[in-house]
Amino acid sequence: MTTLKLLAALFVITVAAPKIEITEVWMRPNGEGMNTAVFAKIKNNSDKPDTLFAVESGLAKVVEIHESYEKDGKMKMRKIDYLVVPAKKTVEMKPGGLHIMLIKLKQDIKKGEKHEIGFKFRKAGTVKVKIPASDKSPSTKNH
Amino acid sequence: MLLLSTFQSGCKSDFELNENLKGFTFKLVDQDGKPVDFPTQFEGKIVVAGFIFTHCPDICPLTVNNMQLVQKELTKNGDGDDVVFVAISFDPERDSVALLKKFAGMREIDETNFRFLTGDKKITDSVMSVMRIVAVPEDSSLVEGDISYFFTHTDRISLIDQRGFLRKEYSGSKANMEEIINDIGKLK
Repeated sequence: MTTLKLLAALFVITVAAPKIEITEVWMRPNGEGMNTAVFAKIKNNSDKPDTLFAVESGLAKVVEIHESYEKDGKMKMRKIDYLVVPAKKTVEMKPGGLHIMLIKLKQDIKKGEKHEIGFKFRKAGTVKVKIPASDKSPSTKNH
Repeated sequence: MLLLSTFQSGCKSDFELNENLKGFTFKLVDQDGKPVDFPTQFEGKIVVAGFIFTHCPDICPLTVNNMQLVQKELTKNGDGDDVVFVAISFDPERDSVALLKKFAGMREIDETNFRFLTGDKKITDSVMSVMRIVAVPEDSSLVEGDISYFFTHTDRISLIDQRGFLRKEYSGSKANMEEIINDIGKLK
């Protein structure tokens, strides 16, 4: 019986969800020397908040966390130093809002290509994700 | 000093605007290097105009994508022949003819009736003034010796009718495609 309990505990440990899950990732294609944005859903499965403090990618000269927002009828953008993902919550990076900015691309990013990017969290460490280049979110069903 | 002449229709209309742009001709150039007189050249056609800069990572690609979706839907329904799509740059110092061509190509845009326009900065500034677009460069920095900057800008798609009258303005990035398609249908 004890052995069974131990095996069950091990199974739970083995299949436990990762602390941070990054899904529905995508970025828009653009040319060398230009800029593009990465979008994603970041889910924190842990009991404590975690903080995205950097993103690493060899695709661009500068990579920053940004936010688009509207003020006085104009669209503006600002850099964000870090992004807190609350415990058991999902933060969505989506067009017109939060995004990862790839500034001055080192190469063309063509539609259909996939490139790896590392999201760096204070607690969960670096979470690497392959990001497809597309003109729409993976969750877009129409068009 | 450019002044926008306004013609007010006396009858009810489906459109909030009826502003005559016929007095204006802006000499621009498209993504193939061909001269374009905007908007005069497109008289007789409905014009869906967006205002962009190609280094924009978020809002302008949304605007262009929304215009592209409208174009695809009209083409699919056989309604696209008398409609022209123009995306006019307010960043002509970076948006060269070659860059506009590449921008269109990377998005697999059907360029049959989709023009990307650039030109002399004074002229594009005048276009923006007449079309009520504000675009202010901000957040400039040096990235490995290269200047990098973005714009605070109006988020806009404009609808111009066959007579060269501005008829409606939409949010570019949040445009409702069905609304634009319905409005184009009303103008036909």
